[in-house]
Amino acid sequence: MNIIVANKLRKVFGNGVELLALDDVDLTILEGEFLSITGPSGSGKSTLLNMLGLLDKPSGGEIWLKGREVSQSSSLERSQLRNKELGFIFQYHHLLPEFTALENVMIPQLIAGADKKAARHRSEELLREMGLVERLNHKPSELSGGQSQRVAVARALANRPSIVIGDEPTRNLDTKSSEMVYELLRKLNREIKQTFILVTHDMSMAQKTDRILRLVDGRIVSEMRRENGGFVECL
Amino acid sequence: MFEIVIAWRHITASPRMVLFPVLAVALAVMVIAAMMGLMESYREEIISSTVENSPYLTVEPKEGEDYIHLYKTLSSVIWGYPGVEAVSPRLLGMAAAKYREQVKGVSIIGIDPLLEDPLLGVQSDLVWGDFNDLAFKKHSAIVGAKLAEDLKLKPGDGFYLVRKGVSLKVTPAGYIRTGTGADESLVYLPLETAQRLMGEGDVVSEIGIKTSDLYEAPAIASGLSRDSFYKAQSWQDKSRNLLNLLDTQRFFTYLFYLLIFVISGFGVVNTMIMTISRRTREIGILMAIGANRGSIIKIFMAESLILGPPSAALGCLLAYVAAKLIEAFPIEIPAEVYAASRMSILLSPEIFAYAVAFAMMVDLAAGLYPAYKASRMDPVEAIASA
Repeated sequence: MNIIVANKLRKVFGNGVELLALDDVDLTILEGEFLSITGPSGSGKSTLLNMLGLLDKPSGGEIWLKGREVSQSSSLERSQLRNKELGFIFQYHHLLPEFTALENVMIPQLIAGADKKAARHRSEELLREMGLVERLNHKPSELSGGQSQRVAVARALANRPSIVIGDEPTRNLDTKSSEMVYELLRKLNREIKQTFILVTHDMSMAQKTDRILRLVDGRIVSEMRRENGGFVECL
Repeated sequence: MFEIVIAWRHITASPRMVLFPVLAVALAVMVIAAMMGLMESYREEIISSTVENSPYLTVEPKEGEDYIHLYKTLSSVIWGYPGVEAVSPRLLGMAAAKYREQVKGVSIIGIDPLLEDPLLGVQSDLVWGDFNDLAFKKHSAIVGAKLAEDLKLKPGDGFYLVRKGVSLKVTPAGYIRTGTGADESLVYLPLETAQRLMGEGDVVSEIGIKTSDLYEAPAIASGLSRDSFYKAQSWQDKSRNLLNLLDTQRFFTYLFYLLIFVISGFGVVNTMIMTISRRTREIGILMAIGANRGSIIKIFMAESLILGPPSAALGCLLAYVAAKLIEAFPIEIPAEVYAASRMSILLSPEIFAYAVAFAMMVDLAAGLYPAYKASRMDPVEAIASA
């Protein structure tokens, strides 16, 4: 099933001097894909992610999320879709600093209207999966970088989203923690068929995914898919 | 609601940030509550001193007549009105008081003391003597203390009251001190004696009425005017200028409260804007994980409103302490400066209720703009902010 389809996606920034950040991007992502987007700085990776994550509206084109056109949805509709269908993992964990690990994972569920007890139970389960059962009541300042990012992963999964979007999720982690986080995402992709779209500048990390899109100057210039243990060029 | 949870956590995590807006509103509440108490006390004192030495209502003669002839019948009609506590027919007039070489112009009030005392509580103003003596001693008088002093009267000395060729000798049965200018000229006489002096027969100039509720007087006055041919006036009718002045004063005091409202509100707005500025990225994250604009507004409005009750409580406490301090140090103010006798602050439950409402309104109003601005943030820019 197509989870996300982008048709002729375009984003222009600026009123005076215009900057074309995305130039007619076409993209189809299937359910259960583990996809990475790479490219040099300024290529439009984060812009594309913001479009797909409904954090920003495109200047042109369409975005179809599970068969529904959402590019021009209202602010309220996009909030609801972000809460229920999308999960985010940011470069910096961006956990809420005054809340514990457990509470951070509960918050998206509470936003969705979940019962507090049920939210707590699910959050505990998720954090146990992340190997953080001993850190439930720790605040972000009391967690290491890798632990915080794992909490962020748990938060992203809290509402069982259709897609998890990660914007350089391991950029600020050491190699070991980065490996750990990627292995975790890989495991989730295999076990529960979670769809991941990750932006990374690190090709070694990108190669841990199943499909790599390369963006240059707002256009997809190459696409590689995993086949027989390696990658083959598709575009 | 998760918004309240987040707002509460924001506040408890940064108690120093909330200290200043709480103090700002608390001080404003203190000033307003104390001012309201002071104004209310002042108003009460003014009104109290206005009605202390005058009836709440007076019934005056019919148009074209100088006196009320059927005052006994009219009195019994007045007693039929609900809330009437005292009815006293009174004959008023001017005469000359002569004692040895001293002569002074005086104001005569002819009354039945058994009816007049419930009306004005005259006995309590007596320096010496018994007001009820006027009921039993036809040629006795209650004399203003200053008048007695001016005439150089001694207790037991008789003096003459002269009017239009009629001369009566009366003996003081007591001196009265009302604390007003009346003490220089007031002479109470038994009604019959005053009628003889005035020479107009069995008549009175007015009927004074006291009601159980001071503020019911206008309603009873209009009822009496409507039901009879006599003109009835309440103390409010007679003190219209004074009451208008007090209302004008109240209006300007409300303007002053509004100013305090705005100033303290700015304190809250400033803190809220700083808070939101510090939490820009957090707002972006909340939006990213699904909080909509309405929720963002609710979070920051809740933060603002949660500060209301502690601000109000602290402000009320400060107002109470300030009131007690002011009252503990009596400030004797000359009568020409301040009509009431001393500074006092009347802190009624209503004033505290207004104070709480004020605190909530300030926090509500002050939180609106910052909360709205927070909700209009672009989540991408907010997340990317430093």
